[in-house]
Amino acid sequence: MSDLLGFVLSGLVSGALYALLATGLVLSYSASGLFNFAHGATAYLCALAFYELHSGLGWPAVPTALLLVCGVAPLLGWGLDRLMFRKLARVGETAQIVATIGLLVALPALGLWIVELLQDAGAPVRPAENQFGLPGVGPSPAVSWQPVDGVGVDSDQLITWVVTAVVAVGLWVLMRHTPLGLRLRAAVDNRSLVELRGMSADRLSSVAWMLSSGLAGLAGVLATPLLGLSAHDFTLFLFVSATAAVLGRFASVPLAFAGGLGLGVLQNLVAGYASFAERITGFRTAVPFLILFAGLLVLTRRQRTAGTAAVDAPPVDHLAGRSWRRRWGPWTVAAVLLAVAFYTVTTPFWSGVLAQGLAISLVFVSFTVVTGLGAMVSLAQATFVTGAALVAGLLMSHGWPFAGAAMVGTCAAALLGALAALPALRLGGRSLALATLALAFLADQVLFQTGWLRNGDTGWAIPRPVLGPVDLSDDRAMGVAMVVLVTAVVAALSALRDSPSGRAMLAVRSAPAAAMASGVSVVRTKLTLFTLSAGLAGFGGVMYASYSTRITATDFTAVTGLVWLAVVVAAGVRRPQYAVVAGLVFAVVPHLMADYVTESAHLPVILFGLAGLALANDPDGYCAALPTRLHRRRARITADAPERSTPQGAPTPGAALELRGVRAGYDGAPVLHGVDLAVHRGEILALLGPNGAGKSTTCRVAAGLLAPLSGQVYAAGRDTTREGAVARSRAGVLLAPEGRGIFPSLTIDENLALRLRAKGDRDAVYERFPSLAARRGVTAGSLSGGEQQMLALAPLLQRPPGVLIADEPSLGLAPRVTDEVFRLLVELRDAGTALLLVEEKAAEVLEVADTVAYLAQGRVAWCGPRAEVEADRMTEAYLGIGAGGRTGAQGPDAPGDQGHRPQEVPQS
Amino acid sequence: MSRSMRSITAALAALLLVSGCNSAATSGGSDRAGGEGAVRGVTEDSVKVGGIVSMTTSTGYSKKDTDLGARARFERANAEGGVGGRKIEYLGAEDDGQDPSKNLAAARKLVQQDKVFAIAPMSSTTFSGADFLQQQKVPTFGWGTLPSFCGPSYIYGFGGCMVPTPGGTISQTWPEGLKKVTGGSEGRSVAILANDSDAGTFAIRTYKQSFASAGYEVTYAEPAVPAGSVPSDWSAYTKEILRSDGGKAPDAVVSVMQTPYNIGLFTAIKRTGYKGVLTDPTDYDPALLAKDATRKALDGVHVLTSFQPFEQDSADMRQFREDIRKAAGKDVPLNMHMMTGYMSADLFLAIAGKAGEDLTVESFQKAANGFSDTGTMVGDRAEPKGQKESFGCGALVRLKDGKYVVSAPFTCYPPIPFK
Repeated sequence: MSDLLGFVLSGLVSGALYALLATGLVLSYSASGLFNFAHGATAYLCALAFYELHSGLGWPAVPTALLLVCGVAPLLGWGLDRLMFRKLARVGETAQIVATIGLLVALPALGLWIVELLQDAGAPVRPAENQFGLPGVGPSPAVSWQPVDGVGVDSDQLITWVVTAVVAVGLWVLMRHTPLGLRLRAAVDNRSLVELRGMSADRLSSVAWMLSSGLAGLAGVLATPLLGLSAHDFTLFLFVSATAAVLGRFASVPLAFAGGLGLGVLQNLVAGYASFAERITGFRTAVPFLILFAGLLVLTRRQRTAGTAAVDAPPVDHLAGRSWRRRWGPWTVAAVLLAVAFYTVTTPFWSGVLAQGLAISLVFVSFTVVTGLGAMVSLAQATFVTGAALVAGLLMSHGWPFAGAAMVGTCAAALLGALAALPALRLGGRSLALATLALAFLADQVLFQTGWLRNGDTGWAIPRPVLGPVDLSDDRAMGVAMVVLVTAVVAALSALRDSPSGRAMLAVRSAPAAAMASGVSVVRTKLTLFTLSAGLAGFGGVMYASYSTRITATDFTAVTGLVWLAVVVAAGVRRPQYAVVAGLVFAVVPHLMADYVTESAHLPVILFGLAGLALANDPDGYCAALPTRLHRRRARITADAPERSTPQGAPTPGAALELRGVRAGYDGAPVLHGVDLAVHRGEILALLGPNGAGKSTTCRVAAGLLAPLSGQVYAAGRDTTREGAVARSRAGVLLAPEGRGIFPSLTIDENLALRLRAKGDRDAVYERFPSLAARRGVTAGSLSGGEQQMLALAPLLQRPPGVLIADEPSLGLAPRVTDEVFRLLVELRDAGTALLLVEEKAAEVLEVADTVAYLAQGRVAWCGPRAEVEADRMTEAYLGIGAGGRTGAQGPDAPGDQGHRPQEVPQS
Repeated sequence: MSRSMRSITAALAALLLVSGCNSAATSGGSDRAGGEGAVRGVTEDSVKVGGIVSMTTSTGYSKKDTDLGARARFERANAEGGVGGRKIEYLGAEDDGQDPSKNLAAARKLVQQDKVFAIAPMSSTTFSGADFLQQQKVPTFGWGTLPSFCGPSYIYGFGGCMVPTPGGTISQTWPEGLKKVTGGSEGRSVAILANDSDAGTFAIRTYKQSFASAGYEVTYAEPAVPAGSVPSDWSAYTKEILRSDGGKAPDAVVSVMQTPYNIGLFTAIKRTGYKGVLTDPTDYDPALLAKDATRKALDGVHVLTSFQPFEQDSADMRQFREDIRKAAGKDVPLNMHMMTGYMSADLFLAIAGKAGEDLTVESFQKAANGFSDTGTMVGDRAEPKGQKESFGCGALVRLKDGKYVVSAPFTCYPPIPFK
């Protein structure tokens, strides 16, 4: 019994650290939607700083810890958010994962580099290597007690428990009982609605990142006595704590916290009672990753079809339709030049480096398949490489020829890939990435510890092949052979991409549901891609091992796979030839750096990590960025000239909100072609029009969610064109977006409190809406559609805004409820609010509107007082012939002509 | 389009064939090391030597000082007039960062770009450059804790090959040294603990046989400790160990793990009031004395060293201290990495000295074959015996009251066959 108690108590120590890290992960994830692989690196950085300041410079422990946790770490989080994360939140998931992987290696290197510099400058810092038994915040060595026989507790453990408990309570108070916490939770719930309510989501995201970094820093300082100064151990620790974040579904802080504690205990219990698995070498080591993998499979809710990144829009292929020579000419020339170079200019050393780069690019090309074509992030490629090479080596040691061994090795890797993919494929995005990472660690710690497969530390010799007269043990011949192989693979993959099955794969990538409807099996496609990629990685692995002439089980670890992915994605993952560039850069640049730039081993790593910054701007990598940027610049020069000449008139006096000549669209697809609208205080302007006319786009422009390409937006006579949603909302222009403008995870009272801080105001709302009062503690998501719309409008009635833009407020509501909603809108108008009301239910809206505007094909086809509305006109507007259908008829009284003239605005 | 691609591929294949024939024609002369009259890295008055050491790592473990040790030894050699009339031009050590691909790249750079005659020291956790160095015939000297130091004819461990292979031998340094601490092995029991990995399993197999054949009763031998990261809780392991000798604690606990693990394990074991002997092979590092926590955790522990401990006074050791002080430019605390670099350089110098003035790879290898000397800081050296087994010498030092004291003096023991 005391065994059990002991296991549980000491399990709570690592559990507390897991909980702190997992909470930070959840906070930062909910702030910007990205899984921060570098979270452990932040913790490491704080541990390092604590050690140097406390042990090196002799600062007192507790103030130093406080300074780091409350000052330095949050500052780091704030800086990273401003520099990277904020931008990354808007790019695809692959770029997000990779950018933080870059940080994962760059941050520790940065810390060590600073220590190195300080040391050179003569500061009394200590070397960070080979340091064990580091002091923590408490006494060192730790004082220990034995409260119960057989159960020991020491001061470091006690401090960890107490601090974690205090932090848990503090976090709970912050999140549940402060306005800041309420806003943070609102931002987690619905980021864009937060902006529409006038709260800066960016600032909230900064706060969340600061909190998150602070928690990482705290975990780092507390873990110093346990983990020492091993960045590697901190990162492993983080991956384990990801399990707890998964348990909290990346959204719930309390669940993640509890999950972390439970995880520590569970891990300890398994270690303590796992004697059943003694025969499996590595089982106990692998326990955390088994839990992570199982946790992902069990707990991840299926939200989207496997691995699809919805925001991962492909860049425009500006070479589409060009000649073969234009598309492939430069690459072909480069390949031939490279092949020729081996026998003409390169020294033996550089021949070797280039051959190595080409060999690794075979592995890198496999990322093009799984991530580029399949939009799945696989962090297990290194496992396939090791697996294939070990199998090939094993067979060659039994006398198999190279080709046969390589083929079997490739098949083994493909099989491994299929086995890994089967359970993992139902997971999406970051869960799939984490699951493959867990599998990679499992393979390292269990599969590749199998004696007969790995052959101890010796590994297997993989001599380079001799193909007839071609002996590849010469680096030059190896290099040319690699050029040929790489060319063949790139050509094959490009052909695959352009084939019907390739198109099916791309279809699955961009729209799985549509692909499924077209008869493409999503699961089969993804499985095929994963298997193909694993096989390719395996083949590349055998070739790479034959370059090194040996494979050992530790040559390519799971962490190697992380770095590879970062290198490939930094170059570009959508085309196989970019992966070849990545491979060559990976092999060549470190040597160039060492020869010409710096001897320091840290600086190249830091620079490599900063590639993440570049990804935030060019998520498709530097290979794609260069031509795309050139192309875009050329396009802009031709397109920009005429648009600048839009005349900028003075705003209409008295208009609460005015759109003047607004043109807007999405990424090259224009929607609005010059919209003029004005709404006045105490007026309801109903905007009618068919689907696709641009009504919602007009709302988005008016609310500041979408910046117009040209034209102006005035709020109360002030030009607010360049202001975002937050400033627009603060200026009194509110948008009630399509659907329900509420935060479903917050309670009714919290929803109200976001706008009505004073309790008196909320009580007034409850008086007005007794049905809300009765359920003020209920989460808003559980209300009926009508009640939700009431909840969205209620606080506005209490404090009427200057302008309210309501995008289809009656969507999905029963007629009786719709009447009630319209009644509230009229009440708002009577309170002086200017309303821009978008509706498809024309008949109902005509009863409340003062002014009516028809929108058709991105233009206001007609605008006038309700009294002048004619049924015919409306029908025409709805049928979409209001503007476009009549542009040819130039009769002076043709209603369609209105669209080209300044709008008739009734002066009130 | 695909036709053009096919033609390109065909052209490249033809190119490959041509280049292949070309390489077949020239590859016969790949052993250029000794050919054409010039020897790689050797001139009239100098020999070029480089090193490979893992300095920066993500695990916080560094062998940086290996470089200092080697430099100290080479500087003294040069001060004494060099070897065979040639000064040693030591290029310093390349940092491989414990990364296999960097290790190979460093080896290629030293040989192909810097054109070194030999590599000393080579000290890392990985040695993927070994095959290349063997193929290019580069004499290489380093810490023989990796399998590549056992077998290849151009690669030498400064203390011999320290990885026992089945069919080879096991060094008995540890159990024989421990006998001096426990007063013989008669009726004494030991428990051996290692990491849960292939290496740990192999270590258990080795030391189980080693301690048993020295007369100890091995009551527990398990690779039980997770290898990924240091456990925060050791009670699960200590309980099993301390009940292993028929319900009571064994006389000695042998840990075959790295320092962070040993700190955790020994702290936990001592907390239970264990009074027996604790011993491990890695914690001989005077820097560990600088911190209260490590000093307390490792107090009383007997640590195995495969070289003469710094505390044992001898002419060689005084010379070592003096050389290191000179090379570092100030007094620095000594550690085993310095010794590794120093003795790697020393073995190279000893063999090169025997090869004499006509220094080529062939003459060097000839001198190595049948080389032997006695009484060095790593014991009695002999080649090519050292490429099959360790020199079999070692000592135990005990950390007591904040300093190391020799508990079993440096001695050489005959090895036993490894079954």
